[in-house]
Amino acid sequence: MREKMLNIGNKKWFSAVFWILLLLIIWEISAIVVANTKRIPENILPHLYQIIMAAFSGEKVSGELSASQAVLTSAGQTLLRGFLGFILGGVIGFVFALLMKMSNLLGKMLFPYLMLIQLIPVLGLAPIILSITGDINVSRVVIAAILSFYPVATNTLYGFKSVEKEKYDLMYIYAAKKHEIYQKVLIPAAMPYFFIGLKIAAPMAVTASILVDTLQGDGGLGCLLSQSLKHAMSIYTFWLIVFFSAFIGIIISKIIGLIETAVSPWKRRP
Amino acid sequence: MSEERNIEIKTRQLGVTFKDNEGKDVAALTGVNLEIYKGEFITLLGPSGCGKTTLLRCIADLQKPSEGDVHIQGMTPKEVRLQKKFGFVFQQPVLFDWRTVKKNVELPMEIMGYSKGERSDRAMEMLEMVGLKDFANHYPNQLSGGMQQRANIARAFGLDPDILLMDEPFSALDEFTKEKLHEDLVRIWKATNKTILFVTHNIQEGVFLSDRVCVLSPHPGRLSAIVDIDIERPRPVEVKESTHFNELVTKVRNSFEGGSV
Repeated sequence: MREKMLNIGNKKWFSAVFWILLLLIIWEISAIVVANTKRIPENILPHLYQIIMAAFSGEKVSGELSASQAVLTSAGQTLLRGFLGFILGGVIGFVFALLMKMSNLLGKMLFPYLMLIQLIPVLGLAPIILSITGDINVSRVVIAAILSFYPVATNTLYGFKSVEKEKYDLMYIYAAKKHEIYQKVLIPAAMPYFFIGLKIAAPMAVTASILVDTLQGDGGLGCLLSQSLKHAMSIYTFWLIVFFSAFIGIIISKIIGLIETAVSPWKRRP
Repeated sequence: MSEERNIEIKTRQLGVTFKDNEGKDVAALTGVNLEIYKGEFITLLGPSGCGKTTLLRCIADLQKPSEGDVHIQGMTPKEVRLQKKFGFVFQQPVLFDWRTVKKNVELPMEIMGYSKGERSDRAMEMLEMVGLKDFANHYPNQLSGGMQQRANIARAFGLDPDILLMDEPFSALDEFTKEKLHEDLVRIWKATNKTILFVTHNIQEGVFLSDRVCVLSPHPGRLSAIVDIDIERPRPVEVKESTHFNELVTKVRNSFEGGSV
């Protein structure tokens, strides 16, 4: 049994290494191909070692800041807004799902609007939200919240609806009160779905935050991203941001996974 | 003998009508007159569509009758339910994944407002009774199907209900587990002196467990016979090979009406 588990562990590790190696090879081949097309002023798809070197180079790319310093400074702003929006969206999403479960009528009334909000592209939404809130920072938090809200609300609602009839029957037999049914059955049953919603929402909140930066300027990763592309400030900075964002996305989803395991001991393998 | 015993549950001309997809009335159950004595083990037996589960649900107040009525200890099913005198065991264990086995057993007691210590003691007592004491802190997904159903039974007994309603509780289990649980259920029933209503479509199971078997026939669902099972208790498993047991099985089988099912 133990040997078998070790084996599975090895396989997982092996496949991770395999995919990373494959990705590196494809990247490098592409970099050579793109370099041969002689793009100016700099290669749009640099070699990986160039990006890594840029990350550790002290050369000033943005005012007094080196590439890594610039990325980290901007990332702080963007991630803070994304994070605030994510928390706000998560909380409101959960509350909305609860309200829609509690009242069928409310659910039927609200759902089309939720869909509608989701259908408006962020690019269209950003100026509207900015004009409503009047504050560039607040508007970015709100946009991140709107984007996180939807997956959390729909998944949590789905979780509430996944509770089998027998569980209601059982609670009925025991003459449980409505709040007891919510507290003891519906909310715990919806938790795994709530976490799925959070996992979908987190990268969306970060991506939205970056995207809105590029539109509205005034600092942030997205701002730096568009600068590095437009002025060819440094193509390496551009790629640093891309990698950094992907890395943050993975870290966030891991953290949410850890929180989920911490609050749901029954999901741990025996 | 029946005259001297207390009647616990009484149905009078009980009928349930459902509407089918085209809006036509379909009689799921008609004219059921049944008296169940206190402390009796009674089986509702029949093929699917005979209304046995519907009858059980009417008694449990999970289904409103279209005609006739049910009296339990002189009260309506709703009054009995609100006094939390029912235990119900479904075909599926209906355990809560996020609660340990012990916490699952404690759930009805939480709703009843038992104190924490009382809940814990009683839950452990129930788990010992069904042989799950060592698994108290396991989660349902760590248990086999048979063990999950044991936990379910422990939970149903936890509130010390007067009446235990069981809806095909063992039909999803393998033969070996089922036999073991039959033995345990009868032992617990004898020790606690509950009235048990047991729904099944398995004739042998009904005959082996019960004091009386109520045979229901379909189209429309109705009570077509009540067969007394006069096999002495305790009943060892070998009883199933005896001539008398097989005579009773045949008698029950011949009580079905409506031909091919």
